Amino acid sequence: MYVFLCIVSFISVFPLYWMVSAATNKSADVISGRLIPGGYFMENLNNLLASQNIGRAFGNSFKYAAILTIASLLVSSLAGYGFEIFHDKGKDLLMSIILLAMMVPFVATMIPLFQMCSKAGWLNTTIGFILPTISTPFLIMMFRQSARSFPHDIMEAARIDGLSEIRIFFQMFIPTMRSTYAAAMTITFMNAWNSYLWPKVIMTDSASQTMPMVVANLTEGYVTDYGMLMLAVLICTLPTAVVFFCLQNAFAEGITGAVK
Amino acid sequence: MKRKILAALLTSAMVLSLAGCGGGSAETPAAPAADGGAEAEAPAAEEAPAADAEAPAADASAGGDETLTVWCWDPAFNMNAMYEAEKVYQKDHPNFKLNVVETPWDDIQTKLTTAATSGDLSTLPDIFLMQDNAFQKNVLAFPDVCMDLTNSGVDFSQFAAGKAAYSVIDGKNYGVPFDNGAVVACYRTDLLEQAGLTIDDFTDITFDQYLENGKKVLEATGKPLISMQAGECDLIMMMLQSAGSSLFNEDGTANIVNNETLKIVMETYKGLKDAGVLTEVNSWDEYVGDFVSGNVAGTINGCWIMASIQTAEDQKGNWAITNMPSLVGASGATNYSNNGGSSWAVTTKCANPELACDFLASTFAGSNELYDNILPSGALATWAPAGDSSAYGEPNEFFGGDAVSAKIVDFATKVPTNITGAYYYEARNAVATAITNYINGSDLATELQTAEQTVNFNMGQ
Repeated sequence: MYVFLCIVSFISVFPLYWMVSAATNKSADVISGRLIPGGYFMENLNNLLASQNIGRAFGNSFKYAAILTIASLLVSSLAGYGFEIFHDKGKDLLMSIILLAMMVPFVATMIPLFQMCSKAGWLNTTIGFILPTISTPFLIMMFRQSARSFPHDIMEAARIDGLSEIRIFFQMFIPTMRSTYAAAMTITFMNAWNSYLWPKVIMTDSASQTMPMVVANLTEGYVTDYGMLMLAVLICTLPTAVVFFCLQNAFAEGITGAVK
Repeated sequence: MKRKILAALLTSAMVLSLAGCGGGSAETPAAPAADGGAEAEAPAAEEAPAADAEAPAADASAGGDETLTVWCWDPAFNMNAMYEAEKVYQKDHPNFKLNVVETPWDDIQTKLTTAATSGDLSTLPDIFLMQDNAFQKNVLAFPDVCMDLTNSGVDFSQFAAGKAAYSVIDGKNYGVPFDNGAVVACYRTDLLEQAGLTIDDFTDITFDQYLENGKKVLEATGKPLISMQAGECDLIMMMLQSAGSSLFNEDGTANIVNNETLKIVMETYKGLKDAGVLTEVNSWDEYVGDFVSGNVAGTINGCWIMASIQTAEDQKGNWAITNMPSLVGASGATNYSNNGGSSWAVTTKCANPELACDFLASTFAGSNELYDNILPSGALATWAPAGDSSAYGEPNEFFGGDAVSAKIVDFATKVPTNITGAYYYEARNAVATAITNYINGSDLATELQTAEQTVNFNMGQ
């Protein structure tokens, strides 16, 4: 049993180790399969800083991902909450339509979306980046499911005490559902941080490039500097890793739908 | 009632949150947004981008601002070339400026497709770099995107004919040729020596002689002469073009089943593989790794591969280049071919086409100085006059003190023209499948038949 687990964890961890060690080696060593860390970290870093505006791309990615995460959590949780707590004849039909939208692949809607954003003058802007994915069927469904476990007694008590519906949402629901929010936050942040196709279509300006786009830049050309590339990948991976490690307990609870 | 109020509240909260988050950046796009509205009302959708394009042009002439936006992808190579071209052109045009946006080729293709399909060309740059093999496809699929440069002032006759042909569609020139993809055969002279051979034994030879030499090297050193990526057919395509043959006919129909040269190519490739002179690897990284770490005694590829070879600093002086072997029995067989390369295209959206054309004509199609300046980055010209410059005659110590640059420019002028057609990549993939199956023991005629059917299916025939 433990042997099996060891093998599996080795398989999952090895690529990460390789990424870190490759970031400290020069390109020729990476290609020839050197596995031990080398002394080229600073040189790779200097090359990377000289060839790409990493700071700007990192800042852009962080800005877009942070704004999208906050906006998306707010919109989707309000929607999910509304779907579960309030009763209306049409809501199940509406929910089915929303879930149906999950089936439509993004590439199918990409060109119309691009036309809309271009006409509205949103190319190279934050709003152009976040708007298409601000509410996702998956998050709405996730919040609806977790709102199911939200104790109605608390809500009744709050109503009797005279709390308005909107304040019930902000003061009662959000604090109770912290773990769901944490899980949703991890998922949204990772998706936003790693998103590539949409930004590459609407970000035509080098000043609005994101981290994944910069990593893609490094793989083009007749010679690829693998050490530098791995360092860029490492930098690109760090924020999602940090977000995940900070929120991993809450993430596990949130996925299973716990109430605090 | 209460429910309706709440619904209204929730909706407005959603709207507010949307407006709130867009607040920071919404201020700048406000003006274009108004434009967007006006555009939508314009009766002809095509007029909108045109009107858009005229506005900056007026600005440019009024403010004396001559700026062109360029998309290309390699900071060390083609972007560097553009920056050098900017410097050269600025000598006569002090107000001239370039805005070079680093965009990988795959991204350029995606953006091109999105812009052309949505009919909104306003997002495109003035000039962009296009892979030669994709040129025909893009011009045929999106005829509105690239500008006809035939009468733009660029003298296309000064470029290597085989190279310029990539961007000629229906007799019109759509691209200014840039980097050289002339094929070179590179060998480790120290390994050849162990087998009692020199680089001269590999110059102006046929594939039969290559095979014999390869066997000697294999026997003496235990190393194959060359490795190739399995499932790709770079070498196949190079061999095919070396005899002036293509996977398509002039009229665009597939030329696979009845292509005698292709049959010779496939048989030659299998012969090399069966003898162990050629070995196949699974990825590009392994392919590069093989010659960098000395697992094979050489390689055959576009001259740009020399940049990767030169990363193996410890092998300095042990490498030499020459022309590739020629096919035996194929009509029109030569020792020269091409792999890769790219050309500059001007978009129809370009606000100042005269400036863009004049810029290209006086730099990439008219400046020895530019080509001398970019030579150290490995950017070799296909513009014939550049080869006469003294910089091209300088010896390269890595390659045993040989004047490799002049050699490659000479190779480039001898490359036979081929027809890429609009479905180049589809045909290439089909042939790659065919060669894999053929190597594994399948019947050649059947495989070629399948490949042609696949290509015809892709073309909708």
